[in-house]
Amino acid sequence: MTAVRVPAVSRPAAAMPGQLRAAARLLRLELRRNAMPWMLPLVFALFWFSVYRKAMAMPPLWHPRAASLQIGALLAFASPAAGTAAWMGSREARRRTTDLVAITAWPSWARQLATWAATTCWALAGYLACVAVLYGVTARQAAWGGPLWWPAAVAAASIPAVSAAGFAAGALVPSRFTPPAAAIAAFFVLALSTQPINGSQSYWNISPVVAYPWDIGPDPGVATFYPNLPDLSIAQVMFLAGLTVTVLGAVALSDRRGGSWLRRPAAVITAAGLLAAGTAVALAGTGTLNAHGMIAIPAVHDAASDRPARYTPVCSHTEIPVCLNPAYASYLPAVALALTPVLHEIAGLPGAPVRISQAAAIYQQGPGNSVSISMVGPSISGGRPVYHVLLPDQLGGAALTTSEFIAQVRSDAGPNILANFIALPRSGASQAQQAVLAGLLKAAAVATSAPSARGAPQPVLSPLPAAVQSAAQRFAALPPSARHAWLVRHIAALRAGRITLAQLP
Amino acid sequence: MTLTRLPWLHAASRRAPVAVAAIATCAIGLRLALIGHWDTYGALQLPLVFEAGAAAAITITTASPLGEPERVTGRWLPFLRLATALALTSAAALLLAVAGTGAHLVGGTLEVLRNVTGMTGIGLLCAAAVGGTLAWSGPAAYLVVGAYGQYTQWHGPALTTPWIWPARPPHDVGAAACAALVFSIGIVLTSVLGGRDRVAE
Repeated sequence: MTAVRVPAVSRPAAAMPGQLRAAARLLRLELRRNAMPWMLPLVFALFWFSVYRKAMAMPPLWHPRAASLQIGALLAFASPAAGTAAWMGSREARRRTTDLVAITAWPSWARQLATWAATTCWALAGYLACVAVLYGVTARQAAWGGPLWWPAAVAAASIPAVSAAGFAAGALVPSRFTPPAAAIAAFFVLALSTQPINGSQSYWNISPVVAYPWDIGPDPGVATFYPNLPDLSIAQVMFLAGLTVTVLGAVALSDRRGGSWLRRPAAVITAAGLLAAGTAVALAGTGTLNAHGMIAIPAVHDAASDRPARYTPVCSHTEIPVCLNPAYASYLPAVALALTPVLHEIAGLPGAPVRISQAAAIYQQGPGNSVSISMVGPSISGGRPVYHVLLPDQLGGAALTTSEFIAQVRSDAGPNILANFIALPRSGASQAQQAVLAGLLKAAAVATSAPSARGAPQPVLSPLPAAVQSAAQRFAALPPSARHAWLVRHIAALRAGRITLAQLP
Repeated sequence: MTLTRLPWLHAASRRAPVAVAAIATCAIGLRLALIGHWDTYGALQLPLVFEAGAAAAITITTASPLGEPERVTGRWLPFLRLATALALTSAAALLLAVAGTGAHLVGGTLEVLRNVTGMTGIGLLCAAAVGGTLAWSGPAAYLVVGAYGQYTQWHGPALTTPWIWPARPPHDVGAAACAALVFSIGIVLTSVLGGRDRVAE
């Protein structure tokens, strides 16, 4: 007599209300007997350490914090979720119950799906709690705008994907070494998937850890003057959903006990998932950096997103009002403090700007991953002149302390405001114009030696001849009222270049 | 005969040969990855990922499939645990250092030794606390912490605490001392107490 191993093929029964109740009960059981809740304290600690603290150190603007959430939360959740899912996926083999549960009424793929779903539900619940805390605190701090849900959705869509990948690894290779391998591999793939990115048209932008043009960093200037573009996020969510479906379909395909009733739909589902993921990658490859600092994908782009956001600026009560986008309301005292000495010198004079207004930045893709950021339009506009200014935070670069920020604004905008007021030409300025500018800068305590922020052009100030320096010192030493009175009388002639150095007081 | 058979049986019951294979895989993976071109972030984080993998593989071996019966059979068990952990940690440091020889391994051998030792220590502490089979969560979580610490060196404020030793330079004495301390406590605890595992797992 020969013993032949013939696996029993499970067949589905028609769906009945009782079966749905049983499925819900199975999910409830899996939720209660899941390892993910025990991992959540560790995940929360990681989230607090690497995401929450970092986000709270950022200015209370939605875009940088949402981008930080997408990237950081994903990295904090990926390893524990993938490892735990692999642990749960290998449970039957680990507890040596594979044969025992094989004879139950439920097919193995349904049991596995319930285990994966429970693990994913716990991970998603933890993630949503983290989003609620971070967005809740930001909502209390942010002066304008609202939560950006697409970055949060990308990280949320990533959790089922990494969980499915980990689960499949655990189910297919049930070893005690599989969960750590899945956890480390998840981090490796996600953290280092940005390496091949080269410019905004890279297919690798599909990586869910890409929340903005790579290497630009979480720029506070993005998604404040223009709405946040969801194009790349849509492609990423599509890719992640496709990946999840593909992996789960592959798990069903590998079920040896499943008959053709399982294999055929599983094959279709796997193919559909692959198609969705492949399409999303192709879409990501068509993305381009738009002028507002976000990646636009033509196939999913909504032209309405290109219209400027409507807002009422917040203005200071200085002699010449300083007006900022309301998202930057918390910056207003520092910017006003930085510019008050400069504005005090020219307030009330003919041709002085009636307002200092914050401008939007324009972004341009450079070679590789470099991006150039500059101001949209001229720095001065209108019959009643309005001077436009970019804040240092809009130009990227390192984070600044408040005192550094004030010094940077004063040294960037101060010389330009005064140079525009005097109508100082870029070249061929008269010695009197140079002396008056230098004198006003000295009187306003503007340090012209401070390095200019990226993209902020500076008027030519040095080297000045000794005679000009001497005249500038004399002009700066005048009482403010005398300086003011002289400028009222002579500003038109000074602008026209008709004042000589000897005519300066 | 007993002198070699007992350690071998102990190592086999802890899947130490598979752990050695996993460590060797990490070393080969590191070597292969170092052939590629990586930017500054990648070059920094790459060794850390493989070091964490090796440390996780070592900590898995603390899980015992035998439980209580093994604990009452003799006085050699703590020494066998100690020898297994030390041998695997040495093998991991050696193989990863060899993998980086002749390639641009950021931090060099000293950093490999420090990071592997420290992360293995974290894994051993986790084994004593939650069991060997779930102890991988320690090195995996510390990988995120270490990578974030390295990230802050570019995007401040930089984390300079020696407890986040992957973010410190290889010659930093404080970081090395912290890693060594964590490893010492971890190896003493797991040698004396073993992993906190249920036999069924």
